[in-house]
Amino acid sequence: MQKESPIREPLILGNKSYHDITVDVAKPVLAKANKLWWIVFGISLVLFIWWILSVGYTIGTGIGVWGLNKTIGWAWDITNFVWWVGIGHAGTLISAVLLLFRQKWRLSINRSAEAMTIFAVVQAAMFPLIHMGRPWLGYFVFPIPNNFGSLWVNFNSPLLWDVFAISTYFSVSLVFWYVGLIPDFAMIRDKVNEKYWPLRKKIYSTLSFGWSGRAKDWQRFEEVSLVLAGLATPLVFSVHSIVSFDFATSVIPGWHTTIFPPYFVAGAVFSGFAMVQTLLLVMRKVVGLEAYITVKHVEYMNIVIMLTGNLVGIAYLTELFMAWYSGVEFEQYAFLNRATGPYWWAYWSMMTCNVISPQLMWFKKLRTNIVFTFILALFVNIGMWFERFVIIVTSLHRDYLPSSWSMFSPTFVDIGIFVGSIGFFFVLFLLYSRTFPVIAQAELKTIVKSSSEQYKK
Amino acid sequence: MSKKVIYGIFDDEEVLLKSVKEVRSNDISIKEVYTPFPVHGLDHALGLERTRLAIAAFIYGVIGCIAAILMTYYIMILDWPQNIGGKPSFAYYLNMPAFVPIIFEMTVLFSAHLMVITYFFKSKLFPGQTSSSPDPRTTDDKFLMEIESEDEKSISDLLKKTGATEINVKESA
Amino acid sequence: MTKQKKYWKGLAELTNDPAIESLKHNEFVEPIPTEEFLGDEKALTQSTTSRRDFLKFLGFSTAAATLAACETPVVKSIPYVVKPEEITPGVANWYSSTYYDGNDFANVLVKTREGRPIFIKPNDLSSATPNARVVSSVLSLYDSNRLKTPKKKGQTTAWSQIDEEIVTRLSDVDGQVVVLTNTIISPTTNAIINDFCEKYDAKHIQYDAISYQGILDANQSSFGVRAIPSYHFDKSDVIVSFGADFLGSWLNVGFEKQYASNRNPKNGKMSRHFQIETNMSLTGSNADVRIPVKPSEKLRLIENLYQSIIGNQSPDDRLKDIYSELLAAKGKSLVVCDSNDKDVQLVINAINNQLSNYGKTIDLEKPYYLKAGDDELVNQLVKDMNSGQVGALIISGVNPSYTLPNAEQFNAGLKKVSLTISTALSMDETAQYVEYVCPDRHYLESWGDARAKHGEVSFTQPTIQPLFDSRQFQDSMLSWSRSNEDYYTYLKQYWREKTAWSQSLHDGFITISESKKSPTSFSGNVVSITQNSGDLELALYQSNSLGDGTQANNPWLQELPDPITRACWDNYITVSATTAREYGLSNWNNNDGSMDGNVVRLTVGNTTLENVPVLIQPGQAIGTIGLALGYGRTSSGKVGNAVGINAYPLITNNDFIAPSNVTIEKMEGEHGFASVQLHHTMMGRSLIKETTLSEYIKDPKAGNPDITFYTHKGKLFADEVSLWKEFDHESGHFWNLSIDLTTCIGCNACVVACHSENNVPVVGKEEVRKSRDMHWLRIDRYYSSDMTEEIAEEQGLGSVSKYKAMEVPSENPDVAFQPVMCQHCNHAPCETVCPVAATSHSAEGLNHMAYNRCVGTRYCANNCPYKVRRFNWFNYAENDAFDFNMNDDLGKMVLNPDVTVRVRGVMEKCSMCIQMIQKVKLDAKRDGRKVLDKEAQTACSVACPTNALVFGDVNDTSSEVSTLKEDERQYYLLEEINTAPSVFYQTKIRNRKA
Repeated sequence: MQKESPIREPLILGNKSYHDITVDVAKPVLAKANKLWWIVFGISLVLFIWWILSVGYTIGTGIGVWGLNKTIGWAWDITNFVWWVGIGHAGTLISAVLLLFRQKWRLSINRSAEAMTIFAVVQAAMFPLIHMGRPWLGYFVFPIPNNFGSLWVNFNSPLLWDVFAISTYFSVSLVFWYVGLIPDFAMIRDKVNEKYWPLRKKIYSTLSFGWSGRAKDWQRFEEVSLVLAGLATPLVFSVHSIVSFDFATSVIPGWHTTIFPPYFVAGAVFSGFAMVQTLLLVMRKVVGLEAYITVKHVEYMNIVIMLTGNLVGIAYLTELFMAWYSGVEFEQYAFLNRATGPYWWAYWSMMTCNVISPQLMWFKKLRTNIVFTFILALFVNIGMWFERFVIIVTSLHRDYLPSSWSMFSPTFVDIGIFVGSIGFFFVLFLLYSRTFPVIAQAELKTIVKSSSEQYKK
Repeated sequence: MSKKVIYGIFDDEEVLLKSVKEVRSNDISIKEVYTPFPVHGLDHALGLERTRLAIAAFIYGVIGCIAAILMTYYIMILDWPQNIGGKPSFAYYLNMPAFVPIIFEMTVLFSAHLMVITYFFKSKLFPGQTSSSPDPRTTDDKFLMEIESEDEKSISDLLKKTGATEINVKESA
Repeated sequence: MTKQKKYWKGLAELTNDPAIESLKHNEFVEPIPTEEFLGDEKALTQSTTSRRDFLKFLGFSTAAATLAACETPVVKSIPYVVKPEEITPGVANWYSSTYYDGNDFANVLVKTREGRPIFIKPNDLSSATPNARVVSSVLSLYDSNRLKTPKKKGQTTAWSQIDEEIVTRLSDVDGQVVVLTNTIISPTTNAIINDFCEKYDAKHIQYDAISYQGILDANQSSFGVRAIPSYHFDKSDVIVSFGADFLGSWLNVGFEKQYASNRNPKNGKMSRHFQIETNMSLTGSNADVRIPVKPSEKLRLIENLYQSIIGNQSPDDRLKDIYSELLAAKGKSLVVCDSNDKDVQLVINAINNQLSNYGKTIDLEKPYYLKAGDDELVNQLVKDMNSGQVGALIISGVNPSYTLPNAEQFNAGLKKVSLTISTALSMDETAQYVEYVCPDRHYLESWGDARAKHGEVSFTQPTIQPLFDSRQFQDSMLSWSRSNEDYYTYLKQYWREKTAWSQSLHDGFITISESKKSPTSFSGNVVSITQNSGDLELALYQSNSLGDGTQANNPWLQELPDPITRACWDNYITVSATTAREYGLSNWNNNDGSMDGNVVRLTVGNTTLENVPVLIQPGQAIGTIGLALGYGRTSSGKVGNAVGINAYPLITNNDFIAPSNVTIEKMEGEHGFASVQLHHTMMGRSLIKETTLSEYIKDPKAGNPDITFYTHKGKLFADEVSLWKEFDHESGHFWNLSIDLTTCIGCNACVVACHSENNVPVVGKEEVRKSRDMHWLRIDRYYSSDMTEEIAEEQGLGSVSKYKAMEVPSENPDVAFQPVMCQHCNHAPCETVCPVAATSHSAEGLNHMAYNRCVGTRYCANNCPYKVRRFNWFNYAENDAFDFNMNDDLGKMVLNPDVTVRVRGVMEKCSMCIQMIQKVKLDAKRDGRKVLDKEAQTACSVACPTNALVFGDVNDTSSEVSTLKEDERQYYLLEEINTAPSVFYQTKIRNRKA
């Protein structure tokens, strides 16, 4: 029975007994959805449909319906891919790394963070698929000999590393998430009244894999969680490093940069936490979890955002320094062009959102202010999208031979696919928030005695 | 006289822990304990030995690593070595640096998934499985100790004494 | 009694409902309205479709439907029943032939596959090399807009019927019979026309859309020879051209080879080339010294040069070098001028005479017989037509309704001519006003001979069965003059006597001995040139891609970027930046990578053109505008119609300049250009390495310093710091391509050759605007800028302002061309990143692309430092959105069966014409020998008229390319990133005073 110093602020407010927690967590699943939920869901659904149409049109007609050209072969597609993958990092990071560091405050947010990870990675994974000229041949990227003999895949290609990294990351996060979900599904199963809800009962008892909470199961459960956390942590770092290799291993000035892996990981955590903030601040209101997702949680996350934000800022400056110091004219021009060329606005939006605005988090007043936090989180999300746009488009549009320099501007299909993917993401997340135990209640109960308000009195 | 199953239900994990120690000190064998969340020290108190899932995970990881090495070797060097961007495909060690990411990912993939599968297998967790818990409240806020014995009376007394809030007795099947 | 079983259709029937009873008796519930349909007599009689017609339609549509249904989706190829001995499926046959359309002349070899011509290359026996237009002429053969049958008043008729009518009407025509043709250089055709003229005492008038009358008349009066002399640019050490674009569009008889032969710095000497011109022409861009001047000023300078040579004046400052060097190179110099004014050409003659160039670099004893047209006669003809004196007019090989400045007068006159006949290949601007159109044959379907130059005869032979019910002009003439001969026998008869017929036909080009022309000595009748000038002057020019506009319906040519402006699918006014500022005109790039510009109202004399786009052209003389001829066709076909504006109406008194009365005013609206290059300077990067001849003689490595890197082992070359164990490229073949930037004149022949050899799709103006052109081979054109690293250094400029300034080309820039195709890097960045190994390297040093493996991630294109990879954004074949030659069955006949047509979603790029290499290797294997040098070629190296592109195996030490690889001028593009390309360049040498 671990104890905790009384100075630490409580992570659970109010006099919550075990039973209260059970009820609070089960409530959104068992109760009816409120109007707000339906409105948000409706909007997301519309966007999702736009996404379906845009993707259908692209696959039916050809990549030509996007704004790309002979010089700029990637733009919004890969920008969105990297953006979503980045967002997908916070979840596993929170549950895995914080678990290893025994950070109790993770317990009330890890479930949703992981959910976000899963859904974000789903979005991310879409882009490499639909950005192909011939997506129906996408299976060529798997290590199977092709139909015309033993022509295999090319393991030298960072894009193939991506295939392995993303699929591993996705499946492992999914499993990690589910292992944690099983006891909570069991709880819901036992809460559902078979008389009124025979189907729900059936569904949840299936989902719960017949969990019964035997001592031995719990022992294994904790072991598995720990090992998975241990595996997921390096995984998180590897995934975005590998994504950054797509650029770092190329020869294009502005892409060919050795600091990309750490820089991308920091950026990923940065954007990931921002997205978690955005979602949780909404969710704690909508589903009423103020008691569990406290201002303390928000503040902790803001500190992480500020830290990673500064790491990213340092990376930006390092890039500029290296460009200057390298003495390579192409390199120097690439970065000069970012800041002063036709896409200067993208560069400076990125700087403002990612480097300048997080500095405000130094003030406790601001980082504990919910509304401010929410706005700033949005800023960071936008800024991080711009970061990827800047890296991809402004590097490509003016590379080695001035004769091939060109410009990119998105078509309505580009926009549709991007905005649509956000809609898709929220559809998934909203459905989750109504059907899944959004807080890891079983594990949360373990800290009631140590960190809840009433015990600290 | 027939065997009975006695269910002692507790409200608090600390009480449960004490009671478990008490019961075992009277060398009564506890059949099973059901709790809504992991109770620290319970496995110790029950005298369960450490799980070996971690070791399994390590072995799986090694398998994954070897599998990845063999795959990349066969595909890139043995079966059809190509000149791809001038990267040397004459011998594995020359081309290997390019495969490190693949090898790492495969290692994690194998170790994570196989371990979880083992876990599900050992704990008999799978879709369609039904809960073995005698009382649904054990997933909410109740802690349940299951003891099988002929001497119902003394056991229930002992449980009561050690703080069980409720005792149910059932003919064992 | 047995009860009969009975079924009812319903209760109503069972109860014998009367309604049912009555229904039983009439077949249709509703009565058929036959009465109001057939009863209405009036409607029936008035309707054009009778009952019988209706039945015919019914019958036909049924039959058609049935037939259509019979067609299987599987397209079966029918094998030869009796195999023609000369055709082996899969093996190409080559036939020599001659291209002549009145404007371009070239001796060519035609590649045919299974009886289809698919590729045109130079005939090395002759110096008349094909230019871009001639190379793409093979596509015009398969133009779906060609006439498929003879027409009378637009209605299809039969030849027999036409001939009957024409002959009868010719025999009793009141008024002059006139045969209006382009310059006829075919002896036999001339003979045939003469016979015809005798028979109907007709007049034969020759007309050139692009007139060279000035030269003809001048030579007539100076030397008594009305012809174009043959020039020897190869023998001239000093070339002074007053506006003559002899590498681009002047005379079009292939001066490129001659010119380049004297531009090889290896020998330590190069010809020195001065260009005094108004527009930035292809020739001007290659000149060592280029002086932009107004047309009027140009004439003054000519006058001044002449006067100073005869010692009456001191030379103008700009002419000082020219003057002294010309005098130094008497007999080894050449002065040419594009003016079509007799007086000007007289002065030019006088200058050349003073420099005693006649008989040395200019030869009037063996002149050209091209461009013999007479504008006076044509103008007279138009008058006569309008005054009703012309009874019959036969038009062949010309399109006066489009090319005449006074076209509407011509059309008006045409109405007054009772019998009008045209032999146009398609319903062109003229043919549509003509009564009888007797479609001529494309030269690839025809017999013919040509005597372009004194003592040189070349032949044209059919390379394919006639595609349509057409007939050669000569055959038409023969049958109209009632000779029972056909042209082929006529031709054979004619030449049998003079030469070994089949041998000459095989060679396609022969020299015959004929008595030389005897020009008199220079008559010296020089009149001083008077030229009025204006503050805005116009100079018309022929665009590199369309020339005089004959092949405007050829999509390859329409999409061929102009070598200088890099824009296609357009003509436009070119103005200098200064002039543009004056008139508030500008070009700008949109953020989708397209380029837009202002439009103006152009008024020349009393002709006004609205919405003329303006393109800012460095090197354009200040206060002048240029405009390309050959555009604005209205009846050329689906591709060429309404592309650009027709500039022919601006020709004033047969000259292509308008020195006065030229005004432009800015109009509302914008114009979208299809430009494939938006940035025009090298931004201080050493992409094109260049130096001057004097520097080169001092140090052959001048301008081409070694690129080395500091390492722990000391200074090393890029290829020495490689991390990797290299692949073996010593054994077997190692194909390399050398590109000499000194002799590359940017003529675009290679680009079109590549297009036609490799089935490169045409994507249309809108896609080109989105920078999605598909050319595998492009010719980058860079201008010099006034801002350089050194100047920035001096002025202490910051990088930002430095690069901003570097983007701006000089007012009169140096121009450099750089052909860029896949560099076939041996450390290819593209190969490494392809996830599916769709592109990998061959043992022979080539970068392969497996189309059917490509999934289209475009990663390779992104990672290509040269940006030479092209992505199929859509299906470009069989897609109505891209209605070019790949979208109709006829146009598809030009496709090269050895090269796949790429589908949507795959990446494509230069393959170094691997199909050609493979062919050569197989031949060598069959004959059990080594592949010879020069045997393996690429489409571009074959087409290059100046031999700037040399392809070969560098492991074959005897090969030219292997020596070039060791040359001091050799360098790799972007060598510092160590992509180790198989393509390398030779530094550009300018013959400049250092």
